Amino acid sequence: MRQNSRGTAVGRRMAMYGLVAIAVFAAVLPVYWMLTISLKSEVDQFAVPPKWLIFRPTLAHYQDAFVERSFGKYLLTSVFVAVLSTVCAIVLGTLAAYALSRFRLRHKLNTRLSLWILSTRMFPPIVTAVPLFLMMRDVRLLDTVASLVIVYTAFNLPFVVWMMRGFFNEIPRDLEDAARVDGDSRLGALRRVLLPLVAPGLAATAVFCLIISWNEFLFALTLTQTDSAMTLPVGIAGRVTQYEIKWGVMSAAGVVAMLPILVFALAVQRYLVRGLSLGAVKG
Amino acid sequence: MKRILSARNDRALPFLLIAPTLAVLVALSIYPLVYAIKVSFQTDTSSGVQWTFQNFSRLVSDQFFLSALGHTLVYAIIALTFEFLIGLGLAILLNRQMRGRSFFRATLLIPMMLPPVVVGVVWRLMLNPNFGAINGTLKGFGANTESLTWTASPTLAFASIIAVDIWQWTPFMFLILLAGLQAIPDEPYEAALIDGSTAWQTFRNITLPLLKPAILIALLLRTMDLLRVFDQIFILTEGGPGSATETISLYIYRTAFRFSDFGYAAAMSFVLLLLTNTISLVYIRLLGKQEAG
Repeated sequence: MRQNSRGTAVGRRMAMYGLVAIAVFAAVLPVYWMLTISLKSEVDQFAVPPKWLIFRPTLAHYQDAFVERSFGKYLLTSVFVAVLSTVCAIVLGTLAAYALSRFRLRHKLNTRLSLWILSTRMFPPIVTAVPLFLMMRDVRLLDTVASLVIVYTAFNLPFVVWMMRGFFNEIPRDLEDAARVDGDSRLGALRRVLLPLVAPGLAATAVFCLIISWNEFLFALTLTQTDSAMTLPVGIAGRVTQYEIKWGVMSAAGVVAMLPILVFALAVQRYLVRGLSLGAVKG
Repeated sequence: MKRILSARNDRALPFLLIAPTLAVLVALSIYPLVYAIKVSFQTDTSSGVQWTFQNFSRLVSDQFFLSALGHTLVYAIIALTFEFLIGLGLAILLNRQMRGRSFFRATLLIPMMLPPVVVGVVWRLMLNPNFGAINGTLKGFGANTESLTWTASPTLAFASIIAVDIWQWTPFMFLILLAGLQAIPDEPYEAALIDGSTAWQTFRNITLPLLKPAILIALLLRTMDLLRVFDQIFILTEGGPGSATETISLYIYRTAFRFSDFGYAAAMSFVLLLLTNTISLVYIRLLGKQEAG
């Protein structure tokens, strides 16, 4: 009897690990397949049955994509846009979040403004994409890196405000009050006392902004047209939808677009639930 | 003197700090909406711009729009159902002590973090009828894959984009539901154990009710995303073949950026906005009831 129940317990454990293993494989295998394609010579890419494990790796496609074709330029644009829009959104959003967290405004403005700010994040992106295209055309910013930085800053702002407001709210006011008794100004206390305390949250928020901007596709697609302002996702999409597809080049670009995100995601794992509830990763 | 000054500064300070954020959001979120309203009541004619209701009256008789609406709803319902059920299953599995749990959790989250464009690339490589990993593997086992053209056949293409969505976003459900499960205290479970409840009874009477807020939030966020889906479908099928996989967002994109019919695109985007807002209000009402009750 006892033996038997131990038997079923072991069986259940095995079944549990089995199911989890299937899920992990399903999640990772397609991505792994892209990685192998990016490293295979063309002969190996089109082998039937597919070569999952054993092939002669080559970096030719990476060189083709990033040195000979324009993907190096798209990569630089992506980095530039992501970093600059993140910095702008973090600076503006953190100040606003501080005000909303630490001052009591009249007419319930704290809550009302916060909710209003969040609500601007709730529009489907295509709804604003059409008028933003027309606006950028009016001011002759179409197909510029500047237009993307501006739009991504606005896109990330509500997210930063809500994340940072949450982090500020978690820190007791007494600490700042003490600093102010010691002669610090409001903003001095913010810089010397509060910011170091919320630094991990601030870093996580910044990483989320980087991910959002890096992954963003629709605005980049509609606001840019030429190599001069295209980001990596738009560059890849342009190649993918062409009639003849270069699998190796496409995969190499895909791998490079994916790697920083995987590192970032690992860095913000602790804050993932909070970030995702406020719409991180994707608009 | 210094005191008075700082008191006055204190009153102005919060507004000074919030003003830049508000300015940016008004300029780039609210103004575009107003702009879109204006454009949706206009049409370009040879004699210049004219004011019109035409863009809205066109909606009801536009077959492409109605089928895009249908595609979006069917896509959302099927994907949401599968993502929820699989996500809940995985969350329950990983909500117990097991070796390597944090490793499994991290790897399961990979699809969700990927840039949507990369998801498109990955699945193009998997689904290619001739050399894709799926058909290639099937051929390796001697199967006949001639009819499995995936994104080239209307029905299979629709199934494929749904499957890809499930692949990418089940981790999201899993993560939110797992967090919800971990927030449930042990006491009710101990009580149930003493009462001799079966596993199913415990799940129905304890887990589900306590998990309900997390479930509603996860469903709300996913529904909003599903109704606006664009990126992966654009890369995988561009709405094709024909318009078999065209969702509302894709049709709006085509109308605006291929046909330059911005007025009609704006009119459609308001329908999408209305749809997402109505559905999110229903969820929020349910959530409110949950918290009040």
